[in-house]
Amino acid sequence: MNDDARKIFSGKSKIGSKHFHSIGRRAILIFLPLAIFILLGAHPVRGETLTADDILNKVDDLYRGTSSYGMMTMEVVTAHWKRTLSLEFWSKGKDKSLIRILSPLKEKGTATLRAGNEIWNYLPKVNRVIKLPSSMMSASWMGSHFTNDDLVKESRFADDYSCRITFQGPGKGENVIELSCIPLPDAPVVWGKVEIVVRQSDYLPIVINYYDEGLRPARSMTFSKFAKMSGRTLPAVLTLVPVDKPREKTVVVYDKITFDLSLNNEVFSIRNLQK
Amino acid sequence: MIFRVAWRSIWRNRRRTLITAASIALGLIIAIFFIAMAEGVYEQIVNDGVRMQAGHITLENPDYQMAPAIDLRIGDVENIRKFIKKIEAVEEAKLLIWGQGVANSGAGAVGVSIMGVEPAVETKNSPLARDIVAGSYLAEEDDRKVVLGEHLAKELKLGLGNKIVITTNNARGELVEELCRVKGIFRTGSDEIDGYFIQIPLNFARKVFGLQADEATQLGVILKRPQDQPPVMEEIKSTLTNKNIEVLPWQQILPEVASYIRIDRVSNWVFQGLLFVIILFTILNTLLMSVMEREREFAVLLALGTPVRKLKGQLFLESVFIGCLGCFAGLILGGLAAFALQIRGLDLAFLMPEGVTISGFAMSTTVHALVTPPVFLWTGGIVLGAMLLLSLLIMRRIKKISLAETLR
Amino acid sequence: MGLLRVSWRNLWRNRRRTAITMAAVALNAIILITTYSLMDGMLRQTVLNATELVTGEAQIHSPGYLADRSIYKTLENPQAILQTLREQSLPAAPRAYGYGLLSRGTKSAGALFWGVDPESEKATFNLPAHLAEGSFLSPNPQKGIVLGKKLARSLNARLGAEIVLLVQAADGSLGNELFTVTGILKSVGEGIDRNAAIIHLDDYRHLFVLPAGVHEIAVNTGGRVSLDKLSAILPRLVPDAEVKTWRQLLPALSDMLQLSGASMSLFGAIFFAAAGLGVMNTMLMTTYERSHEFGLLKALGTSPWRIVRDVAFEAWLMAAVSTVFAVILGVAATLALQEYGLDTSALAGETTIAGVVFDPVWRAALSIEAVVAPVVIMWIVCVLAALYPAAMSARLDPVKSMHRV
Repeated sequence: MNDDARKIFSGKSKIGSKHFHSIGRRAILIFLPLAIFILLGAHPVRGETLTADDILNKVDDLYRGTSSYGMMTMEVVTAHWKRTLSLEFWSKGKDKSLIRILSPLKEKGTATLRAGNEIWNYLPKVNRVIKLPSSMMSASWMGSHFTNDDLVKESRFADDYSCRITFQGPGKGENVIELSCIPLPDAPVVWGKVEIVVRQSDYLPIVINYYDEGLRPARSMTFSKFAKMSGRTLPAVLTLVPVDKPREKTVVVYDKITFDLSLNNEVFSIRNLQK
Repeated sequence: MIFRVAWRSIWRNRRRTLITAASIALGLIIAIFFIAMAEGVYEQIVNDGVRMQAGHITLENPDYQMAPAIDLRIGDVENIRKFIKKIEAVEEAKLLIWGQGVANSGAGAVGVSIMGVEPAVETKNSPLARDIVAGSYLAEEDDRKVVLGEHLAKELKLGLGNKIVITTNNARGELVEELCRVKGIFRTGSDEIDGYFIQIPLNFARKVFGLQADEATQLGVILKRPQDQPPVMEEIKSTLTNKNIEVLPWQQILPEVASYIRIDRVSNWVFQGLLFVIILFTILNTLLMSVMEREREFAVLLALGTPVRKLKGQLFLESVFIGCLGCFAGLILGGLAAFALQIRGLDLAFLMPEGVTISGFAMSTTVHALVTPPVFLWTGGIVLGAMLLLSLLIMRRIKKISLAETLR
Repeated sequence: MGLLRVSWRNLWRNRRRTAITMAAVALNAIILITTYSLMDGMLRQTVLNATELVTGEAQIHSPGYLADRSIYKTLENPQAILQTLREQSLPAAPRAYGYGLLSRGTKSAGALFWGVDPESEKATFNLPAHLAEGSFLSPNPQKGIVLGKKLARSLNARLGAEIVLLVQAADGSLGNELFTVTGILKSVGEGIDRNAAIIHLDDYRHLFVLPAGVHEIAVNTGGRVSLDKLSAILPRLVPDAEVKTWRQLLPALSDMLQLSGASMSLFGAIFFAAAGLGVMNTMLMTTYERSHEFGLLKALGTSPWRIVRDVAFEAWLMAAVSTVFAVILGVAATLALQEYGLDTSALAGETTIAGVVFDPVWRAALSIEAVVAPVVIMWIVCVLAALYPAAMSARLDPVKSMHRV
């Protein structure tokens, strides 16, 4: 197997995303939905001091058995181009999600369905559904700095890490709690450590840093524009920046979200994917 | 009586006899030496190849060769293995679970070939186990451990103990991701191997790919002597009742290696043949000259009443003696040289400083010869035969000796 | 002149002896000429087999392209470069590359897409003919695709199958198209077998949104221009680009050939030695035979030096005449082998190893060295082989020499 083949699978050459440095590939996509789920009923109990596990449990509890629907705008900036996509999304429980592109027109109707560990893409232009092979898991999702694997991993944070509170106090303009999370011994994650900084007031995240096994910073995700949406306060803007390419970024802005609506499983079928 | 005459006759012109015999001997020495060396190289390549992969004989799913996939497996392997190991010519029977996947580290992702192996068996046999340069090879009790090549380790920036997440599709087509840690790093010298193969314990591989306890992708049979391949294959085929298992020789599993050997052998033969032609000319020349030189001698003998037949017989015997002399010397010296090469080996590192890979297998720079008895028989035979044919040709000249002319 | 005539007459005084010796020299020389050419031909052919298929003798890239195959590292003005190469009679083919996904039914696989100009490829390389099934791309972009052997198998794709292509285009958008399989390649090598997906350059431009530029221009003269010359010319013609020869692009093959070359040199040396020994043997015997002749000459007053000189000249003359015949016949034989070759397919058959297709027909390659080296060696051997016994005799007591028979 020579270099050609290997390059296909190396982080340096996902579907055209040569500009992503390998280190920054593994995304903290967990927090895309984590953010959503924190809000899925995050009723921070004021005055109660929660342990790290409690915080995590709260998150996962809130995550479980709930659903969501919304619209978001994703802007991707790379060394060679800049793109903005308008997306519509549905999610149910821990392992079903459907995301559809609304604009630009050229890609309208393109959709990604995730169920459990499997991912399918629908391509309206050719009217075909493709199931992503395992070799494409580390490839970029929709051209962003998130990977397909991140989409799959979003529900497993509590399963894969054990966290403890390492700092409480002032920081970033308010009182924060910092959780240091180390992957469990058998967890299939390549990171060495993940740092989550949440606001002490409502346990909403401010920034999440990923470190590789050598504990060097690899990626950083910041949360901003805290606003009330559908009855909950949540950060409406997520910014993902690879540490080695600080001028590149993927910015996700939530325009609208609804929670706990009743969603039929049919929504997450391949047939619906093709609409 | 004729023998004695012939024998003494050849020693009368010592130089000519020695030169002729030496030419024959030299040709044989070269032929034997280079053929033995080539065979040694081939054997080493085949040996490494079959021990690292699926044996001299491989048992696998009939559809596997066409399009390798993890769901094309064979079952009941323990029973089959037990029965195969009972065959005397079999050295070892190894199980393999083989799949394609992606190895992920913090630094990147690379497509890899994942080999689930039995550490106990591999430690004894596999070149990979032998070529560990850092850490150690897999052990029976290991679970989430992996050994990989130096090239791959460099690409993924991995050191001992570092994490790798293997991403692949299991036998049911589902996506699976499993963590394991680097236990050892090997260097075979071939980028294709060092950058592409990773090995994990068989039981862990079963878990990853979702195979049952008695299933595997391949069962490889390693033979004590490669020549036993056809009879052992027959025996296995006749006893195997399971229609879903195909028994294949390594030549079909590693066709590139087989091709390379075939081509190289042919070119070797062609060159030996050409060399042989050159030597034949020399011998022909020598014989011609000697007949010419000794015309006077023959004329005298004929004039004295020696029957032509006897003279021819004497000449023929002389050729036989010289030929045998040369042959024995050549076979013995050539055999000794080849044998020495077989035992001690020759380091050809100066010819290939970075090492050489043949079809993806790294050739060790030290070559050992392989001496096989048939080589002696047919090289010696051909040379002797040619020698005698030539002398028969030459002898026709004897008839043409005009006594009167010569004895003038 | 007198020497020449005397020597010539001397040679023919013992007709048979001279004839036999000349035959030995001539035959050995012929064998050497043909063998040298055959081995040379084999080596050259292997290089051609490797380079003519797809790699070419040299490739031009934007600096640093091969390190990461970034789609953005292009040669911006390929037309100009191709024009320049055309003016120098250097056949070349432009190629653009990109990674992406192929899907057919439930099966999908990652691939490296090649955007090529079918006419240029057909004119410059053998790959378009190296098909197991179907045909290469048509001159017009028609969304046809040619797959590597193993890639086609892993997708279960046959001729005429519809394949979905999904790629990340150069502008960040998701390029996707339906293509039809027009051909499946024979085995070339691991890399190409598993990953190559070849499409028309215009289809590529549309899919990957790369309106101009290519990533590679591969040059192949079929051995017409030497590698050294190419390495010198190309960088001058394209000063801003990076030029690599096949030796740098296919290091494994380069190593293998070096090894083959080394072992062939070894064989060559052995052949020369054997031939030399054969001739020396003959010359020795011939000259020893004439010992009494030298003794006689010495007795008649000829100086040892003159004896040696005359013998040496005779030896050379004989070698020269023999080699003239040898060259004529040897060159004829070599040309025949060059034209028709030695067919070893009964023994080996056509095989592909590491991307090199081994042609079972061995052809010779005639060169100046193939003729000059054997001739010179024969001359040297003959003269030296004659000198030794002559010198010996010339110094000995004439009576003793004349006794030697």
